[in-house]
Amino acid sequence: MKLYRRNEQRRANWQELKPALEATRRGLPPPARSSRLSLFAMAVEPFDLIKVSLSERVFVKLRGDRELRGILHAYDGHMNMVLSEVEETIYVVDVDEQTGESVVRTVKRNCDMLFVRGDGVVLVAPPAR
Amino acid sequence: GSPSDFLKQVVGEHVVVRLNSGVDYRGVLSCLDGYMNIALEQTEEYVNGVLTNSYGDAFVRGNN
Repeated sequence: MKLYRRNEQRRANWQELKPALEATRRGLPPPARSSRLSLFAMAVEPFDLIKVSLSERVFVKLRGDRELRGILHAYDGHMNMVLSEVEETIYVVDVDEQTGESVVRTVKRNCDMLFVRGDGVVLVAPPAR
Repeated sequence: GSPSDFLKQVVGEHVVVRLNSGVDYRGVLSCLDGYMNIALEQTEEYVNGVLTNSYGDAFVRGNN
Protein backbone atom coordinates (compact mmCIF):
# COMPACT_ATOMS: atom_id res chain seq x y z
CA MET A 1 0.00 0.00 0.00
CA LYS A 2 2.87 2.35 0.83
CA LEU A 3 4.26 2.06 -2.70
CA TYR A 4 0.86 2.91 -4.18
CA ARG A 5 0.54 6.01 -2.03
CA ARG A 6 3.97 7.21 -3.11
CA ASN A 7 2.89 6.86 -6.71
CA GLU A 8 -0.31 8.80 -5.99
CA GLN A 9 1.77 11.54 -4.40
CA ARG A 10 3.94 11.77 -7.50
CA ARG A 11 0.88 11.99 -9.71
CA ALA A 12 -0.51 14.74 -7.45
CA ASN A 13 2.76 16.67 -7.74
CA TRP A 14 2.62 16.29 -11.49
CA GLN A 15 -0.97 17.57 -11.55
CA GLU A 16 0.15 20.69 -9.69
CA LEU A 17 2.93 21.31 -12.19
CA LYS A 18 0.65 20.66 -15.14
CA PRO A 19 -0.59 24.22 -15.74
CA ALA A 20 2.97 25.51 -15.82
CA LEU A 21 4.03 22.75 -18.18
CA GLU A 22 1.02 23.36 -20.45
CA ALA A 23 1.94 27.02 -20.66
CA THR A 24 5.39 26.18 -21.90
CA ARG A 25 4.14 23.52 -24.32
CA ARG A 26 1.72 25.89 -26.05
CA GLY A 27 -0.82 23.87 -27.83
CA LEU A 28 0.63 20.38 -27.69
CA PRO A 29 -2.01 17.73 -26.88
CA PRO A 30 -2.29 16.91 -23.16
CA PRO A 31 -0.43 13.75 -22.16
CA ALA A 32 -2.50 10.56 -22.16
CA ARG A 33 -2.35 8.75 -18.86
CA SER A 34 -2.72 5.02 -19.02
CA SER A 35 -5.70 3.98 -16.92
CA ARG A 36 -5.09 0.27 -17.46
CA LEU A 37 -4.03 -1.36 -14.23
CA SER A 38 -0.97 -3.46 -14.89
CA LEU A 39 2.07 -4.51 -12.94
CA PHE A 40 3.33 -1.03 -13.60
CA ALA A 41 0.53 0.80 -11.81
CA MET A 42 2.51 0.15 -8.66
CA ALA A 43 5.95 0.76 -10.17
CA VAL A 44 7.73 3.81 -8.87
CA GLU A 45 11.04 2.97 -10.46
CA PRO A 46 11.99 0.50 -13.19
CA PHE A 47 13.53 -2.03 -10.80
CA ASP A 48 10.14 -2.49 -9.16
CA LEU A 49 9.02 -4.34 -12.28
CA ILE A 50 11.87 -6.77 -11.82
CA LYS A 51 11.01 -7.19 -8.15
CA VAL A 52 7.42 -8.02 -9.04
CA SER A 53 8.68 -10.69 -11.46
CA LEU A 54 10.70 -12.66 -8.86
CA SER A 55 9.84 -16.37 -8.89
CA GLU A 56 7.96 -15.76 -12.14
CA ARG A 57 8.83 -16.74 -15.67
CA VAL A 58 10.61 -13.93 -17.48
CA PHE A 59 11.82 -13.27 -20.99
CA VAL A 60 15.29 -11.70 -21.19
CA LYS A 61 16.84 -10.22 -24.31
CA LEU A 62 20.64 -10.25 -24.32
CA ARG A 63 23.33 -8.68 -26.47
CA GLY A 64 24.59 -10.88 -29.28
CA ASP A 65 21.13 -11.84 -30.58
CA ARG A 66 20.30 -14.10 -27.68
CA GLU A 67 17.16 -14.61 -25.65
CA LEU A 68 16.46 -16.40 -22.41
CA ARG A 69 13.24 -17.75 -20.95
CA GLY A 70 13.34 -18.93 -17.37
CA ILE A 71 12.26 -18.41 -13.77
CA LEU A 72 13.84 -15.38 -12.13
CA HIS A 73 15.25 -16.15 -8.70
CA ALA A 74 17.51 -13.19 -8.03
CA TYR A 75 18.77 -9.94 -9.47
CA ASP A 76 20.84 -6.94 -8.45
CA GLY A 77 21.46 -3.35 -9.47
CA HIS A 78 23.80 -4.43 -12.28
CA MET A 79 21.05 -6.66 -13.69
CA ASN A 80 23.09 -9.74 -12.82
CA MET A 81 20.42 -12.45 -12.57
CA VAL A 82 19.96 -16.00 -11.43
CA LEU A 83 17.49 -17.99 -13.51
CA SER A 84 16.35 -21.61 -13.36
CA GLU A 85 14.76 -23.93 -15.95
CA VAL A 86 16.23 -21.76 -18.65
CA GLU A 87 15.88 -22.08 -22.38
CA GLU A 88 18.38 -19.98 -24.34
CA THR A 89 17.67 -19.10 -27.96
CA ILE A 90 20.60 -17.96 -30.13
CA TYR A 91 19.87 -16.40 -33.52
CA VAL A 92 22.63 -17.30 -35.96
CA VAL A 93 23.02 -15.76 -39.41
CA ASP A 94 24.52 -18.12 -41.98
CA VAL A 95 25.77 -16.46 -45.14
CA ASP A 96 26.18 -18.66 -48.16
CA GLU A 97 29.62 -17.93 -49.66
CA GLN A 98 28.57 -18.54 -53.24
CA THR A 99 25.07 -17.06 -53.44
CA GLY A 100 25.58 -14.41 -50.75
CA GLU A 101 22.21 -15.44 -49.33
CA SER A 102 21.85 -15.02 -45.55
CA VAL A 103 19.69 -17.37 -43.54
CA VAL A 104 18.73 -16.94 -39.91
CA ARG A 105 18.51 -20.08 -37.84
CA THR A 106 18.01 -20.63 -34.13
CA VAL A 107 20.12 -22.68 -31.73
CA LYS A 108 18.52 -23.64 -28.43
CA ARG A 109 20.19 -24.62 -25.18
CA ASN A 110 18.78 -25.55 -21.80
CA CYS A 111 20.13 -24.97 -18.28
CA ASP A 112 18.78 -25.98 -14.92
CA MET A 113 20.38 -23.03 -13.17
CA LEU A 114 22.06 -20.05 -14.80
CA PHE A 115 23.88 -16.91 -13.69
CA VAL A 116 23.58 -14.04 -16.14
CA ARG A 117 26.07 -11.16 -16.03
CA GLY A 118 24.21 -7.88 -16.06
CA ASP A 119 26.16 -6.01 -18.70
CA GLY A 120 24.80 -8.32 -21.39
CA VAL A 121 21.16 -7.66 -20.56
CA VAL A 122 19.13 -5.50 -22.93
CA LEU A 123 15.50 -6.09 -21.95
CA VAL A 124 13.49 -7.99 -19.36
CA ALA A 125 9.77 -8.72 -19.77
CA PRO A 126 7.11 -11.22 -18.68
CA PRO A 127 7.00 -14.02 -21.26
CA ALA A 128 3.22 -14.02 -21.84
CA ARG A 129 2.95 -12.27 -25.21
CA GLY B 1 19.27 20.32 -16.03
CA SER B 2 16.92 20.54 -18.98
CA PRO B 3 17.24 16.91 -20.24
CA SER B 4 16.10 15.54 -16.86
CA ASP B 5 13.22 18.03 -16.83
CA PHE B 6 12.19 16.72 -20.24
CA LEU B 7 12.28 13.15 -18.96
CA LYS B 8 10.11 14.05 -15.99
CA GLN B 9 7.57 15.65 -18.34
CA VAL B 10 7.44 12.69 -20.66
CA VAL B 11 6.57 10.05 -18.04
CA GLY B 12 3.13 8.65 -18.82
CA GLU B 13 3.29 9.48 -22.51
CA HIS B 14 3.73 7.37 -25.60
CA VAL B 15 7.42 7.33 -26.44
CA VAL B 16 9.94 5.75 -28.78
CA VAL B 17 13.09 4.47 -27.09
CA ARG B 18 15.96 4.06 -29.53
CA LEU B 19 18.76 1.79 -28.38
CA ASN B 20 22.40 2.03 -29.47
CA SER B 21 21.80 -1.15 -31.47
CA GLY B 22 19.22 0.67 -33.61
CA VAL B 23 16.22 -1.23 -32.22
CA ASP B 24 13.17 0.90 -31.36
CA TYR B 25 10.74 0.26 -28.55
CA ARG B 26 7.40 2.07 -28.71
CA GLY B 27 5.19 2.20 -25.65
CA VAL B 28 3.91 4.18 -22.70
CA LEU B 29 6.73 5.32 -20.43
CA SER B 30 5.95 4.12 -16.91
CA CYS B 31 9.10 5.31 -15.20
CA LEU B 32 12.81 5.71 -15.51
CA ASP B 33 15.78 6.30 -13.25
CA GLY B 34 19.05 8.19 -13.23
CA TYR B 35 20.83 5.49 -15.24
CA MET B 36 18.09 5.69 -17.89
CA ASN B 37 16.83 2.23 -17.07
CA ILE B 38 13.32 2.39 -18.49
CA ALA B 39 10.01 0.70 -17.73
CA LEU B 40 7.48 0.65 -20.58
CA GLU B 41 3.88 -0.57 -20.95
CA GLN B 42 2.29 -1.92 -24.15
CA THR B 43 5.68 -2.19 -25.76
CA GLU B 44 6.31 -2.89 -29.44
CA GLU B 45 9.75 -3.71 -30.76
CA TYR B 46 10.73 -2.41 -34.19
CA VAL B 47 13.88 -3.57 -35.99
CA ASN B 48 14.67 -1.59 -39.17
CA GLY B 49 11.18 -0.14 -38.95
CA VAL B 50 9.56 -3.58 -38.92
CA LEU B 51 7.47 -4.69 -35.92
CA THR B 52 9.16 -7.79 -34.54
CA ASN B 53 7.76 -8.28 -31.04
CA SER B 54 5.19 -7.08 -28.56
CA TYR B 55 5.55 -7.08 -24.80
CA GLY B 56 2.88 -6.14 -22.28
CA ASP B 57 5.48 -4.71 -19.95
CA ALA B 58 9.20 -4.27 -20.51
CA PHE B 59 12.28 -3.15 -18.63
CA VAL B 60 15.13 -1.77 -20.72
CA ARG B 61 18.62 -1.48 -19.25
CA GLY B 62 19.95 2.05 -19.35
CA ASN B 63 23.38 1.42 -20.86
CA ASN B 64 21.76 0.34 -24.13
